Amino acid sequence: MAMSTMRGRRAADRVSLTSREGRKGPGRRGLFLLQLSAVMAVLLIWAVITAAGFVSSTALPGPLSVFGRFPGLLGSDAYWQAVGDTLGGALTGFLLAVVFGVPLGLVTGTYAVAEQSSRLLVDVLRSFPVIALLPVFLLVLGSTPAMKSTVVFLACVFPLFLQAQYGARSVPPMIAETVHGYRVPRLLRFRRVVLPSATPSIMTGLRLAGTTSVLVAIGVEVLTTLPGIGHEVVQAQQGGASASAYAYILTAGAIGYAINLLSQFAEMRLLRWRRLRHTD
Amino acid sequence: MSLRPSGAFWPSALKQLWLPVLCVAGLLLGTAGSTSFYFPPATDVLATLWRELVHDGLAADLLFSLRNIMVGLAIAIVAGVGAGLVIGETELLRQATTPLLDFARATPTVAFVPVIILTLGIGSGPKIFLIALGSVWPILLNTVSGVHGINPAVHETTRSYRIPVRLRLLKVVLPGALPQIFAGIRVALSIAVVLMVVSEIYGSPVGLGNFILQSGSGFAVPEVWAGTVLIGILGYGLSVLLLAAEYVLLGWYHERPPRNRRARSLPRNEVTTS
Repeated sequence: MAMSTMRGRRAADRVSLTSREGRKGPGRRGLFLLQLSAVMAVLLIWAVITAAGFVSSTALPGPLSVFGRFPGLLGSDAYWQAVGDTLGGALTGFLLAVVFGVPLGLVTGTYAVAEQSSRLLVDVLRSFPVIALLPVFLLVLGSTPAMKSTVVFLACVFPLFLQAQYGARSVPPMIAETVHGYRVPRLLRFRRVVLPSATPSIMTGLRLAGTTSVLVAIGVEVLTTLPGIGHEVVQAQQGGASASAYAYILTAGAIGYAINLLSQFAEMRLLRWRRLRHTD
Repeated sequence: MSLRPSGAFWPSALKQLWLPVLCVAGLLLGTAGSTSFYFPPATDVLATLWRELVHDGLAADLLFSLRNIMVGLAIAIVAGVGAGLVIGETELLRQATTPLLDFARATPTVAFVPVIILTLGIGSGPKIFLIALGSVWPILLNTVSGVHGINPAVHETTRSYRIPVRLRLLKVVLPGALPQIFAGIRVALSIAVVLMVVSEIYGSPVGLGNFILQSGSGFAVPEVWAGTVLIGILGYGLSVLLLAAEYVLLGWYHERPPRNRRARSLPRNEVTTS
């Protein structure tokens, strides 16, 4: 039965996809060209704005000079070192947040009492802008990579926690009661009931936290002397090399974009059995 | 799901409050008489906060930061919703700009902080610009997806009845997208607070960020904690205000209790930012 519904769903997906294409008709190739021309248009507007001198070239250098920096940067060790430093700090904090946030979220989501007790506390803590703690951390931990990871951890743990909690709560009441009624062992229930129904929500949390981790890591680097992309942007801008600064900013954007694409891909692979709610 | 009957107010309040109260009590007791340099007694921190707010210039810093957030966010809402309505309504435009918008949304605005502040100066203009720049993307993307997600049948109906464009936008499209727009604004708010802090720490003569930076470099630890606590209160207060506004404006949409609604909103807004 599961197979048949799955196949039915995928067929439905295909139908909706083709009908959508049929309606608008640009097709895959046409869509690509359309999107490419939109990118080109933006680059052109950017070039015109800078060429006409609406903004000073230190505030916004032209696209040619920014992209002209990439060959030089890509060949340099400093560039990859900076990317590695940022990603390293972001990844450490992110993984720590996964280890703590997801299980805690699942537990509090499963047991209503735990969720109610922690609600107010979590609500207050999660709306706290973690980056404001930076001066405190600078005092207590000093300007170290461990400090960067700690700040990233604090920023990532709440989205993961809340998404896992929400996912665990999304077990349909009927199934939850059935499982309860048959006295399914706790561990089995977690593995077979809670975890599968919470996975889509957890994936969303992972994606959210993934982009947050890079954002916070760069924020910390901008404000401290820790090495990384943020620090390179500051250095380049202070040294009058705006084009390099923008090249690093674009790198940061590419990393964020890549994280989004990767998590979408992972979601598609992991959750093939579930229809994607956001195919476009 | 666990909508409580209104009669059981006290048990549920007790259930929700025991842990926060315990934490606050633990914090107060644990740091009472603390001689640690970095962790002064919580009562000292609160006293410092009060003193700075009432007698010294912290209130001015708070106003400066608050105003920047409000103005920046207002610009982002106007620009994001406006552009989002246009892009969401024009199918071709929506398809063409999807990768561009995704990229823009994925670019961490904090990286722009040094560029903008070093070139445009340390006044409040560049900060408002940064806040608007960072918080416009979730609002824009959510508006687009909210508009796109409106039931096609509704569209066909308005078309066949030849409802004028202006009326359709104001009475059909905008309300239909409003739940998503609010989800976007909530994400934007947290981004705005972060950008406020970062831009003020990076370069500013006033503001909360500047206050904690100055206190930090002067090793005035209670002041650092006081400023940090104040930023936390500001962040929480703004998000509560936003929820209240949403509660009033979107009463027709959520017939569910607010608790479930809030839990739902996280995945919903993220769906669109993918």
